[in-house]
Amino acid sequence: MAANLVNILMGGVFHAAILFLVAAGLQVVFGVQRIFNLACGSFYALGAYVGVSAVQAFTAAGGPPALFILPLALAGLLVGVVGVVVERGLLSFVYDRDETFQLLLTFALVLMLEDVVRLTWGTAPYSTSALYLTYGQVNLLGATVPVYNLIVIGASLAIALGIGWLLARTAFGRIIRAAADNREMAEALGVDMRWVYAKVFTLGTALGTLGGALVIPATAAMSEMGIELIVEAFAVVVIGGLGSMRGAFVGALVVGVFRAVAIAVYPELEMLMIYLIVIAVLVLRPRGLFGRVAV
Amino acid sequence: METSRREFLKGVGVAAAGSAVGFPAVVSAQARKGVPSGPVKIGVMPIRAGVAAPVGAAGQRGVEWWAERVNKAGGILGRKVELVFEEESNPKDTLERFRKLALQAKVDVIVGGISTAVGLALGPAAEELKMLWLSWDGTTQKGVEETMPNPTYAFRSVDNEVEAIGGALLTAKYFKGVKTIAGINNDYSYGHDCWETYQAVLKRYTPGVKSVLELFPKLGVTDFTSHIAAIQQAKPDLLMTSFWSGDTTILMKQAAAVGLFKTMKACFTTGGGVHDSLKKEFTPEGLILGYNSMYFNHAGASPLLKQFVREYKAKYGEYPPYECDHGYFTVESYKAGVEKAYKAAGEWPSKEQVAKALEGIEVESLSGKRSWRADHVQMCNFFQGITTHKNAFDFVTIDPVEVLPTAKIMKPTTSTKLLDWINATFPLKG
Repeated sequence: MAANLVNILMGGVFHAAILFLVAAGLQVVFGVQRIFNLACGSFYALGAYVGVSAVQAFTAAGGPPALFILPLALAGLLVGVVGVVVERGLLSFVYDRDETFQLLLTFALVLMLEDVVRLTWGTAPYSTSALYLTYGQVNLLGATVPVYNLIVIGASLAIALGIGWLLARTAFGRIIRAAADNREMAEALGVDMRWVYAKVFTLGTALGTLGGALVIPATAAMSEMGIELIVEAFAVVVIGGLGSMRGAFVGALVVGVFRAVAIAVYPELEMLMIYLIVIAVLVLRPRGLFGRVAV
Repeated sequence: METSRREFLKGVGVAAAGSAVGFPAVVSAQARKGVPSGPVKIGVMPIRAGVAAPVGAAGQRGVEWWAERVNKAGGILGRKVELVFEEESNPKDTLERFRKLALQAKVDVIVGGISTAVGLALGPAAEELKMLWLSWDGTTQKGVEETMPNPTYAFRSVDNEVEAIGGALLTAKYFKGVKTIAGINNDYSYGHDCWETYQAVLKRYTPGVKSVLELFPKLGVTDFTSHIAAIQQAKPDLLMTSFWSGDTTILMKQAAAVGLFKTMKACFTTGGGVHDSLKKEFTPEGLILGYNSMYFNHAGASPLLKQFVREYKAKYGEYPPYECDHGYFTVESYKAGVEKAYKAAGEWPSKEQVAKALEGIEVESLSGKRSWRADHVQMCNFFQGITTHKNAFDFVTIDPVEVLPTAKIMKPTTSTKLLDWINATFPLKG
């Protein structure tokens, strides 16, 4: 009984850990730039593919399999620099335009990045083979839990704390919050918004690419993996509240765990469950659990 | 398995080169009476995007390999073969491209179609446009019921549920003690039909067998940790799945991470679609694994299959999956159909004459003999067996290999009611 409970909870929390990283990227960008970045799922996919390539290069160069997580995480973070390119090269032109243009532009990115992935890595599932099993398993109350899952959950938690610290305790965090609250005032006080936007978007991108890289040993990269995840990431954002980091954290846990429970108790509800929660939140608390009243 | 841009362009290049050499072929073609001089145009419709893209690539490679060989040997009745590619995607767009091939490119025959949703759209279009269509893997079934009982121009793949029947037969044979089963199948027609059919056949052998869990994740899901937790909770004796794409590999890996198959048997009816990604590190021995209609490592492989496997490995760095042979068979049977009809007519046959000639025709395909039944349904052998690590690869293969002919594991006509037939046929005698 206890073992089953642990299995279900660990499944849910593992799913939530990845979901949080993607949703956090979505939130930080929306919070500051007011851009709803549809391409966050594509960054996730990009991180996954680059992660696999990095790990393959690492093992081909004779790197010890036990250390594969280092090149994996590093690649996931580094590929986040496409954020600067996308922000400066594309998004910076549409900040003053209607929101529809911004949505269209990020949607165009979704399509383009999917093709970039397909042309670069092909269409077949792409994976790190059996490295997932390198770290073995531990026994938790009679349940077998892959250690790698625990590493991902731990990493996601650390990143959540790190972002919380960054936003609350650093000068850059204060600027971000100021810019999110009142862009004109922040600019009037001498903040160079172009830099803030570039940094924030890169941070958002890197969260997504890191999420993709971290999940990949446990699964396999497929060109449409981002689209699958983005639907759930939207649910997370709606439940947690648009623009809220705490909302992303709690929302991801809610979606991950409720999905796992639904699959175990009444599998027909797997997808419906998430939408039922979304509907409930929209009816009872339209701004989400941690969302602020629109300004 | 990958279709790189270069290779894709090469495919286009082959088509272009084909049309370029079409003119010189005038000279050689005039040798035959009543045969037009230009090239034979074959429309090919592989899926290029999404989960089924590797399947589409495999079908295309099978066709390209065939075209290269046939052109080297002088073409069909002296006419060179030219491949014209159009992508298979959703039913609506694919239908438009199908019409474009028929009306604009004026091809002689169209091969391809993997999704049955697409097949349901192409079947009627083939009849309406009077265009020969030889499907690779798609059928014109809605669920397990046929929608086109008497086609003239449409030729379709084997019944969708055939692999599940084969899987159930092997389950009854190799896993005798199984009392409780769980199923994880994709949430669309193929997944549901396979699961229902598998249970129906297994019940003919083990009447008391009970389903304790049914999971239907949608196609494209990449995380099954929660599904596996549910399977662990349900504790079945056996897990059945008809997964055929990358999700097979993911399920296998995530199951291995928690030791799932240490406590239960498993039947992967169609997992051979991604066979070379099922690495030994995470794929245990002793599971049932189905390779659909071609098994690359078959001990009884023909010289043709051996050559194909060798050249495929050299060119793409991997071992060919089954869809290659669906592709190869459609074009090889078309060639045989044309030649047969030519003998009777004394001139290049019309599409109607080729269609008639195709009914009941048998050809040597990669996997062995394959044929079109008189009612336009593919007939072939299915290959399933028990996974083993005793091979020279880093992935699993099967031993023993059970060869299951469609004559035995598919209902004899498209109008036969599936359940009645199952109840009347199984358990098989002898």
